[in-house]
Amino acid sequence: MTTPVVFPRPNPSVLADDGDALTFCSTCAFSQACLSEGMDKRALMDLHVLVEHVGPLRVGEHVFREGDPFSAIAAVRAGTVKTYQIDRNGHEQVLGFHLPGEVIGLNGIHGDRYPCNAVALDTVMLCRFSFPKIAMLAARLPNLQQHLFRLMSRDIGVASLFARDNTADERMAAFLVGLSRRLAARGFSPRRFQLTMSRTDIANYLRQAPETVSRVLRRFEQEGLLHIKQRDVEILDPSRLEALALTVLRD
Amino acid sequence: MASLTSLFDPDLLRRYDTPGPRYTSYPTAPQFTSDFGEDGLREMAAISNGDPIPRPLSLYVHIPFCTSPCFYCGCNRIITRDTARGAAYLTRLYREAAMVSTLFDRDRDVEQVHFGGGTPNFLSPAQIAEVLDVLRRHFSFSRSDRLDCSIELDPRFITPDEVGELAAAGFNRASLGVQDFDPEVQRSVNRVQSVEQTLAVIDACRRHGMKSVNVDLIYGLPRQSLAGFSRTLDITLEARPDRLAVYSYAHLPAMFRPQQRINADELPTPETKLGLLQCAIEKLGQAGYVYIGMDHFALPGDELARAQQRGDLHRNFMGYTTHAESDLIGLGVSAISHIGPSFSQNPRDLGSWEQAIDQGRLPVWRGMRLAEDDMIRADVIQSLMCHGELDFETLGRRHVIDFTNYFRDALARMAPLQADGLVKLDGRGLRATSQGRLLLRIIAMCFDRYLPTTAASATPRFSRTV
Repeated sequence: MTTPVVFPRPNPSVLADDGDALTFCSTCAFSQACLSEGMDKRALMDLHVLVEHVGPLRVGEHVFREGDPFSAIAAVRAGTVKTYQIDRNGHEQVLGFHLPGEVIGLNGIHGDRYPCNAVALDTVMLCRFSFPKIAMLAARLPNLQQHLFRLMSRDIGVASLFARDNTADERMAAFLVGLSRRLAARGFSPRRFQLTMSRTDIANYLRQAPETVSRVLRRFEQEGLLHIKQRDVEILDPSRLEALALTVLRD
Repeated sequence: MASLTSLFDPDLLRRYDTPGPRYTSYPTAPQFTSDFGEDGLREMAAISNGDPIPRPLSLYVHIPFCTSPCFYCGCNRIITRDTARGAAYLTRLYREAAMVSTLFDRDRDVEQVHFGGGTPNFLSPAQIAEVLDVLRRHFSFSRSDRLDCSIELDPRFITPDEVGELAAAGFNRASLGVQDFDPEVQRSVNRVQSVEQTLAVIDACRRHGMKSVNVDLIYGLPRQSLAGFSRTLDITLEARPDRLAVYSYAHLPAMFRPQQRINADELPTPETKLGLLQCAIEKLGQAGYVYIGMDHFALPGDELARAQQRGDLHRNFMGYTTHAESDLIGLGVSAISHIGPSFSQNPRDLGSWEQAIDQGRLPVWRGMRLAEDDMIRADVIQSLMCHGELDFETLGRRHVIDFTNYFRDALARMAPLQADGLVKLDGRGLRATSQGRLLLRIIAMCFDRYLPTTAASATPRFSRTV
């Protein structure tokens, strides 16, 4: 085993693996669902027809904007995508950060337009799935359908994470533990990663002031929970951080 | 720490006397290009604000004017006696400060301010205090006990009372140009400066509560003699400055026009020049100073020496510093900024700088974005310049690389340096020997990707001497 890759350095074993007519690329959010189903080659080929690699997108490029006609969902292959809305007062509301292996655009399914914006925070590679077609396929493949539902419910779960009444410390801990777990699930190092989102994005997402983000992290650092150098985070005491995050992540 | 005397190995110093960068930055300024402009600086500032804990800020203010030309000088400066030019310059400097300050979040404290030149005290103390006031309006200054506020002073043009005004304005460190007290040397470099006025300024800095005083000396100047320089050292050490810099004079009249007025026949022989350095090292050692690195010495109780002991010393365009992780904003003609993983430099000619500001543009002339490899090498070179050693595991861990593999070529280039006793190298680290510490540049050059490999391999040049 090689040492895990520090996000967002590209994971060469993943990006080199672009898949082909009969195999999925290993970042594909659907590959496990389909493979465990023992999908036949024909179904696989059906699916590949609908799959399109997009990117690289550069910092600040949009994947889609609020109000664009809904046509596809996309899985992140590399980089980070931020989803956000602009409220009535013109203020940005960050909805989430999507890491490799995660899917964006799911909240467009119930309407015919995307209800939010999705923007690349660094160099982003995507896999687009034309939606009506994947839905048709899902109707034939119960496991794929189940996987879609699971993705959707997870999406809703993430959005409600910070709705509860938690302290600034607890929210920050939950945010970091969440990132760490999600990256670990994709083969990245859970202890060291880069925060690809800016301080204002983190603050916005956690509903805190940017100064609070810095203050809390500085305290975490003094308490030996983690070490931060510019965007690089190293978690030094995961169990204490998890304990702090517990009230938010309780499930 | 080994005694200072062991630093001096005339044979090695002779053999490794090759020109090389001083590494106040890596990559060095010649790598900057004009495709990094105003937009680049804006973008890097925005990125630096986005760090989860944005770094504190350092400000460098360049005052380019001097009333009289010192012939040895290689700095970017303008000779004038017209004080009105100072006022006109400040008007634009304030506009630049106003423009630049809007790029940075207000909760980022300024921890370090340095005035360099030229001659900052070309300006009156009232003007200098005004600059500081303007900067305080545009930026959030740290509490005074955390703020390092320093200025380079030419003792010929400031009175002890005026030093008091600067201290009252907030300056707590001063660096004095001395070079040599020998009147013959002073005449030949066009800088006549009495012992009395110099000591009076040092004394005033102390009386007015400045935390630290630095004195700059230069060896290798025309007509310099062992006896004369030895006397300069005695007088200087009697005043016991907290820090001392002993620079080598490099005679490059083709590069630096003012040096064309130096009579090359009056320059000391290489043997004498080595003798001057040896004399300085011995006297500083006897007086209890420690070697910081790259021409710099300090008293053991000084913050630089203590930071070095703790392994917490850093180096930037202002030289050695205890301020680790700050983003550096350079203001004024030719000033260099270091924001996040980038360098940028203002125009070196006054006209272009003025024009940019008059048009409401940030005066960026050139710069560069650092790639990941640049940042790794910058960290390695920093570690060498500040601590004279590399710990492979620490550096490898920090940058998630296998150090010995990543730097296979650089380490291979160490072989002749190792054979000559400049470095000790094993599987775990690399350390400059006491003989190697005066030649840190040579060791660092092996890690510089931008040097042609022939220079980086630091092949001893027997034909050249100090």
